[in-house]
Amino acid sequence: MKKQLLPAIIGIVVALLAGLIILWAQGYPPLQSYAALFSYSLFSRFAFFSTLDKATPLILTGLSAAVGFGSNCVNLGQPGQFLIGAMAVTAFGIAVDLPAAIMIPLSILVALAAGACWSGIAAGLRRRFNMDEFITTLMLNFIADYFTLYLISGPMLDTKMYSPLTPMTNSGAWLPIWNGFGSAFLVAVAAFAVVSVLWNRSKIGYEWRAMGQNPIFSRTGGCRNDAAYVWAMLLSGALAGLAGGLMIMGGMQHRFVKGIGANYAWDGVMIAIVANNNILATGLYALFFSVLQTGAMGMELETSVPSEFSLVLQAIVVLFVVASRESTRMLMNNIAAEMRMKRARGRDKGMGDGRRASNG
Amino acid sequence: MHLMVEMIRSSILSATPVLLAGLGGAYTYYADVFNIAMEGMMLIGAFTAVAGSYSSGSWAVGVLSGIAGGLAAALIFAFFVVSLKTDEFVTGTALNMLALGGTTYSLRQLFHVKGAFMSPAIQSIPRWNIPLVSEIPCLGPILSGHPFIVYIGILLAFFVEWHIFNTRFGLRLRAVGEDAIAVDSVGVSSDRIKAQAIMASGVLCGLAGAYLSLGYVTLFAENMSNGRGWIALAVIILTRGRPMGLLLMSLVFGFFDGLGLSLQGTMIPPQFTQMVPYVVTIVALYFYSREKGTAKGEPEQSKASLS
Repeated sequence: MKKQLLPAIIGIVVALLAGLIILWAQGYPPLQSYAALFSYSLFSRFAFFSTLDKATPLILTGLSAAVGFGSNCVNLGQPGQFLIGAMAVTAFGIAVDLPAAIMIPLSILVALAAGACWSGIAAGLRRRFNMDEFITTLMLNFIADYFTLYLISGPMLDTKMYSPLTPMTNSGAWLPIWNGFGSAFLVAVAAFAVVSVLWNRSKIGYEWRAMGQNPIFSRTGGCRNDAAYVWAMLLSGALAGLAGGLMIMGGMQHRFVKGIGANYAWDGVMIAIVANNNILATGLYALFFSVLQTGAMGMELETSVPSEFSLVLQAIVVLFVVASRESTRMLMNNIAAEMRMKRARGRDKGMGDGRRASNG
Repeated sequence: MHLMVEMIRSSILSATPVLLAGLGGAYTYYADVFNIAMEGMMLIGAFTAVAGSYSSGSWAVGVLSGIAGGLAAALIFAFFVVSLKTDEFVTGTALNMLALGGTTYSLRQLFHVKGAFMSPAIQSIPRWNIPLVSEIPCLGPILSGHPFIVYIGILLAFFVEWHIFNTRFGLRLRAVGEDAIAVDSVGVSSDRIKAQAIMASGVLCGLAGAYLSLGYVTLFAENMSNGRGWIALAVIILTRGRPMGLLLMSLVFGFFDGLGLSLQGTMIPPQFTQMVPYVVTIVALYFYSREKGTAKGEPEQSKASLS
């Protein structure tokens, strides 16, 4: 973690500077825009709570990607798993009407299960037919997208409305909002805690990490790669599904609207990448990205920079952090090699002559 | 009969972007660069093509700026992957996001619209009527009258086949893919060849993007590449990067894409017909994996090389 900190800071600072230059080049007041970005995401209670709201799906999709990539499962199916999770919770919430104490835990389970099913398809195809999950998960995204679109414009369409969306779920499945603080965030925090214990402290977590480092080594070392692979895929899908489910359970809307997935899933992939699949760093970057996204709205309000700028800024952050991580590592390696060489040379001077003589 | 002609015609039209991107990806495939950024390169190309065509009023400038857009994306990718030695998968994913974010942002910034940009001022690519062929019944409407990039794409397939398998550059390219260190050891810079391969893929993906936004349709929509770059990647894996195989497979995909379109208006809901190309990709991968599995099963290897 400590080794990651320096390149991360360098990367973020350079990326923010690059963003500054882009804004300045386009004739926006750069410093004022940044001030708005942070004041609308952090420096008031309402702003802070909306940042946490936005962070909820990002933490979960980020964890989903981190668990996948970290154990060498290239699960790029977060968008699909997210949508299927959201759709399952919507269907469940419409069909079943129970008190909140039962309904909320059940809905969470439904979301987890639905996401896991969708990633489970890819895991099954991999195990059974050796098909690369990287392509199958990508293709399943499009299938999930069109499938949910079909449901909301056909069988599950709210006929009272004029755009494709479902009716509201029963109120038992709604997560409470306390004074503007959405309790969905607590679910995400709980999931984060569970995943980090699993990842860092459990036997299967160890197997995942070993598999992520080197699958052949982990197999030789006695890890049950096949089982661990399937569980990692299922957990990864379940987390993305939960992210989708919480979109329905939390907030104010409580219905599946076209485009509900927005870019949360791909943001999660980027978060895991920039965090180098470290669980704690994934959580932190999720918060950072949600600051950027929430603040972008304020920036648009104050200095009329289009809020889509946050998308650009995020991608630049990822590129620069990754680049600075690699270059620091190369630099460190070079320095280490240089030092070793110097030490070796020093030793050579001391005893080199004797050795050479004995060799000759 | 008319329906059949219409279907084959539309399959050629929808095959072209996959073919062009796939040919670009063939270069990186043989250089052993995992090029997941094709989707983004194509999207950027589609945007810059529309921007160029709209602002200059000439389709040629549009196509050229589409190529330039793809090339610029490729240069970023090459700079990170080859010079800074960042991970290909990581960089490619970030670049795809940059493409999505950047084009969405620029769409608002330059054209002040959200979602899609349409204008009569966008000049689309001219269509070519092939003199003698267009007279033949059936075959004429199938082969003639397409945007000219369709024909360029088919010619390029032959060119790339020749370029990769019959030239000195191609030999070096494949050697880099086999063993980069060995290539370095005989005094040829493997980094340079890798960068050239990435740039070639950028040019072809940019052309694919230009075709999408100026030929297939005449507009730019958010995320309009819609997974075609990924399908191209799947097709490359399925055909092991052989350009002739790419030509054939992209036609197969185009056929199913077109099939989806022509099934619209029947009993099947349109959302299901739109799924067809993606389902077909999974099915094709199934047959590919089964064949590969009986030949030689090495699951761990292929996975380790991916990420």
